[in-house]
Amino acid sequence: MENSNGILVYSSSPHKKAPHTTKWIMLNVLAALIPTSIMGIVFFGLNAFLLIIISLASSVAAEFIYYLIAGKPFREIAKDFDYSSCVTGLLVALTLGTNYPLYAPVFGSAFAVIVVKLLFGGTGKNFVNPAIVGRIFIFISFQSVVGSWLAPSIASVTGGTLSTGATTLVNILEYNTLPSLSVWDLLLGTGLSGCIGETCKLAILLGAIYLAILKIIDIRYPLIMVGTCGLLAVALKGFDFAYFLPSILTGGLILGAFFMATDYATTPNTKVGNYVYFALLGLLCAGLRQATNMETVSFAILLMNLFVPLIDKFILNRPFGHFKKKKERESK
Amino acid sequence: MKTDYKKIAVDGLITSNPTFKLVLGTCPTLALTTMAMNGIGMGLAVTFVLIFSNILISLLRKVIPNQVRIPAFVLIIATFVTIVRLLLDYAMPDLYDSLGLYLPLIVVNCIILARAESFASKHNVLASACDGLFTGLGFTVALTLMGAFREILGSGAIFGVKLWDFQIAFFSSSSGAFFTYAIFIAMFSLISGAVIDAKKRKAYGKINELKQENAVVFDNGGNE
Repeated sequence: MENSNGILVYSSSPHKKAPHTTKWIMLNVLAALIPTSIMGIVFFGLNAFLLIIISLASSVAAEFIYYLIAGKPFREIAKDFDYSSCVTGLLVALTLGTNYPLYAPVFGSAFAVIVVKLLFGGTGKNFVNPAIVGRIFIFISFQSVVGSWLAPSIASVTGGTLSTGATTLVNILEYNTLPSLSVWDLLLGTGLSGCIGETCKLAILLGAIYLAILKIIDIRYPLIMVGTCGLLAVALKGFDFAYFLPSILTGGLILGAFFMATDYATTPNTKVGNYVYFALLGLLCAGLRQATNMETVSFAILLMNLFVPLIDKFILNRPFGHFKKKKERESK
Repeated sequence: MKTDYKKIAVDGLITSNPTFKLVLGTCPTLALTTMAMNGIGMGLAVTFVLIFSNILISLLRKVIPNQVRIPAFVLIIATFVTIVRLLLDYAMPDLYDSLGLYLPLIVVNCIILARAESFASKHNVLASACDGLFTGLGFTVALTLMGAFREILGSGAIFGVKLWDFQIAFFSSSSGAFFTYAIFIAMFSLISGAVIDAKKRKAYGKINELKQENAVVFDNGGNE
């Protein structure tokens, strides 16, 4: 193999590489999150924009400061920077309500990036999803300061009442009331209170389809999670299928399923393992929601992330040419 | 056999610190460090029990038959725990209430049993008392540091004095306790590791000096 200088280069395989580097993947995930962020800013205004910017800046700053303290030169940090902390920061911001104080994402993102990702060895070595931990950290730490969710500035397009205070999901779970908003409203997020990134489901789905076309995520797995979650919710409500779409389209299920549960480092390695993982995730999510009467997608993902090593231990691919021992005994 | 009191002190406080090095008595460490005051109270209660149980076990070490030594130790420890409980209930009812269940649980605290088994039953009275004092102080300092850290971050106060309104409730919760404990163990290992490294380097430097002076080839086994 000769390079442009005409010098013969010896190297071990692989000689040709696909463009799927970590940087490329993370930039595409960021691109897929752009519609969600824009819809969040449109719905919730300046405060949402500020939360997103602060969260992004603090997660990137956390990574740089950590490596500078660890004694890595600045130029090398900038060279190795793979935008994964940008994704973490953006996802943390998208899971916040707009009435969170502006210092909340600073602590959440820094905790997510430093404790969950960098202390365990950097990108791809995190044992749970950093963004989920960031959200839970903020939820545990600052929920008492915040209170209830705010409604977006754009009212319902099909004429339902604006929901404030308790989210539509809590109404479904606790009071068994179907939302007054139509399914279209739930899909577009108009008139629906909630986090910055979870209101407009259509934008999230657009981003997910973009990632699926680029083969960054496998669209089947999150769909399994959403499906099992909806079905168990229906079953828990006495098989009333009117609850199917509202329980899917409220809360953070869509955002969690497509962007957080699909983190490479925290999903099983095998196909069967992934089916088991996402199905259990959906069941756990619906069950916890019904048991606690609040949104539990983040806690369900955190719990299931811890089970990934167990799934990988027991569900293995059959190696090529390998047969079970039973057949060998029969041949004897 | 001459007793090295300086070594006992350094062992109890640093090199075999019960909380950060031996990771013993984690139950009160995790549960009670939400406030610095609780840490001091628990630490001093354990220190008291540790000193007196060590003294008594050391006195009785030739009397207690080897086969029943553990029940005998537990009986002695339980006696002093009862004394501490009654004293605290009388003198400091507030602290008694906040320590709650963890005060009678000192009976089964592994620090005390470990010191009784591994030190007091083999050494003389003075050395055992000294070991109890310094091990207990090591525990007290560790709990107070963790309590102060969690109190400042978790409720914006120190020793019950309000500093500011800002608080990160994560550090008051039990998950924050595990996190704080891990951070403190890591920091302790980092600092003590650095000190040990510095000592080694100093010793190695001396060997180098000797090499140059005597021009003799030392075989250090390939160790840096």
